[in-house]
Amino acid sequence: MTTSTKKPAKRVSSSSGGSTEKKSVRTVLVGVPASPGLAMGRVFPVVNREVSVVEESIPESRVATEEQLFLKAVTKTTKELAKIKEISESRTGVQDSMIFSTHVMILHDPGLNNGVMKMIKEEHKTARWAVHVVLGAYIEKFESIASAQMQDKAMDLRDLYNRLMAAMEDSGPVLENAFASEESAILVAHEFLPSFLMALNPEHVGGLVMDTGGRTSHVAILARSLQIPVVSGLRNVAAMVTKGDTIIVDGTGGMVIINPNEDDIRRFRERQEVFERQRQELFTMRQLEPMTRDGKYIVLHANIELPTEADKVMDFGATGIGLYRSEFLFFKKDVPSCEEQQEAYQHILETMAPNPVTIRTLDAGGDKLVSGITAMDEANPFMGWRSIRVCLDKEDVFCDQLKALLLANTKGNLRILLPMVSGMGELHKAKECIRKCREELIEQGHDVAEARVGVMIEVPAAVMIVEKLAKEVDFFSIGTNDLIQFTLAVDRTNELITDMFQPHHPAVLSMIYQTVVAAHKEGVRVSVCGEMSADPMSVLLLVGLGVDELSMTPWSVMATKKIIRSINFEDLHDTALTVLQMDDAESINEYMHKKYAQTIMELGISSFVGQIEKK
Amino acid sequence: MIVKTLTVTNKLGIHARPAGMIVDITGPAKSDISIVFDGSKANAKSILNVMMLAIPSGSEVRFEVDGDDEEQVVAQLEQLFHDNFNEEAC
Repeated sequence: MTTSTKKPAKRVSSSSGGSTEKKSVRTVLVGVPASPGLAMGRVFPVVNREVSVVEESIPESRVATEEQLFLKAVTKTTKELAKIKEISESRTGVQDSMIFSTHVMILHDPGLNNGVMKMIKEEHKTARWAVHVVLGAYIEKFESIASAQMQDKAMDLRDLYNRLMAAMEDSGPVLENAFASEESAILVAHEFLPSFLMALNPEHVGGLVMDTGGRTSHVAILARSLQIPVVSGLRNVAAMVTKGDTIIVDGTGGMVIINPNEDDIRRFRERQEVFERQRQELFTMRQLEPMTRDGKYIVLHANIELPTEADKVMDFGATGIGLYRSEFLFFKKDVPSCEEQQEAYQHILETMAPNPVTIRTLDAGGDKLVSGITAMDEANPFMGWRSIRVCLDKEDVFCDQLKALLLANTKGNLRILLPMVSGMGELHKAKECIRKCREELIEQGHDVAEARVGVMIEVPAAVMIVEKLAKEVDFFSIGTNDLIQFTLAVDRTNELITDMFQPHHPAVLSMIYQTVVAAHKEGVRVSVCGEMSADPMSVLLLVGLGVDELSMTPWSVMATKKIIRSINFEDLHDTALTVLQMDDAESINEYMHKKYAQTIMELGISSFVGQIEKK
Repeated sequence: MIVKTLTVTNKLGIHARPAGMIVDITGPAKSDISIVFDGSKANAKSILNVMMLAIPSGSEVRFEVDGDDEEQVVAQLEQLFHDNFNEEAC
């Protein structure tokens, strides 16, 4: 219903691929590598169902036809929703699927149905126009109520609006058609809704390509867990493709090629072969120890977003969960109950036992809004009411989560991670909450093991008081994304200054080093769980700086292990101390590249770590 | 006609799911049923209308039930509110 103005995508090269047809121009687009993997297939445009609707009056004779059209659309959409509910139940559980029952109920709402029928019958409008006006009015009313919950509901209604409109289109896109062909389809859209992705059979989808979104969008995260390659943030790719176009999706490098030429296809096949070979090879070594050649053991953990991902991480050679972002439980619906949370946490903890599992307490706010909890319209949300600040203000929500965590810790392998801590007061208050919750549970007769408690180091203030923090925590986890953003005062979502977001800036490396030194003095272990821990050059620097544990997406664990097994810790430590004295990120990158690029390129992990760029 | 005032005692108020549970009762009933909150009156058989009232926890809600099965409907609604819509109490 709203059309955003789209900026043109960055076109890297474009030439006619020897074809005379105007449509099949070879086009290379660069976007965000949202989910790794390679795929080639036919484009299936998933029309955003942003259909244009025109007001059209109809003669009396067509009234019955239009009424039937609407009623059939309701029946069809009801069936569609029932199917989605069924699939979703098997995948995410009954609780999360109840939303689809609500959708069905809304679909049969008397106010909506009578309104539409009346408009067709009495005002002689088309069914589509009637739905547009009547349901559109509800959407507007919901949007005008200033609560996050209502905004979410408005989005649900838009989802329904789109479904109904598509159901009334004669030649509307029917997804099944895409899967008639042998090749898997590459779905292309302006944006994908999570409900749509949930309803797909991943075996039929080769990849997703979309105009909007980044690495942290809900859709990207789901796709990673389903192992579907995704390139997002392409801005206007949906308008550039035609159904049936051949398209190559490189989710590792963040690139798509529409109408590739023979060279592209040959290169794709080669890369796919390399990818498969490297994957096989890495899999064979996944049980080997992540130890440097001179015997320093680096713990490798996995970051997960869905509880069910825990089932697979050991297959990738990770020996624990370094970060489970609990807010993903809160995105799906309103605040989950203590029991629902406990079930999710317990699944992860018991699957991984006796290996450690780090669960981060609710990190809402910033760019991650949770309905019913976070405030809207902050001028500067990243520095606003978010994360631990929200938790300490909403003690009931926080305590529910803590109790769920403590109850789930039946195997004693839980590590509670407190995000965004910027002062001792917050740590004290949070620890007091944990103590209180544990006491209450024990009083109620529960057997509650003690959980280790750590803080995220992601605000420069935490680094400045890191010696004090180290005396009172069991572990540190450095969140590099926020630490870089706050240390360099660079908003990572601001396109004007993306080149200033420098993970290897001496200030950032120095922050990490100070943290490690202070922590080790108190016998506290340091983990890094941001994007940095999956980048080869960053891995070398982090290990050199003395970081004990790295946590990353499960796919990166095997490749990182291979890097670690190929290097000497003593050498890396010297390197780290050397680069700390350098003036800027450029010099550091150049030095690292000269010293290590060759070694890393020879490891045969290129499919998993992206390109080593020449600096 | 029966007029019954009930208090919302679940923690999250009448969001989508409790609204659905109300309509599960009112929808199939023969009686005409209205829901009144904060000066607004709406058809209680419409989930969209009930949701749109955005009724928070702790509120008093008035039902006006008129028809053959009015007593039965009121009893069911009372039970539903009493059970906090099977959610956590506030």
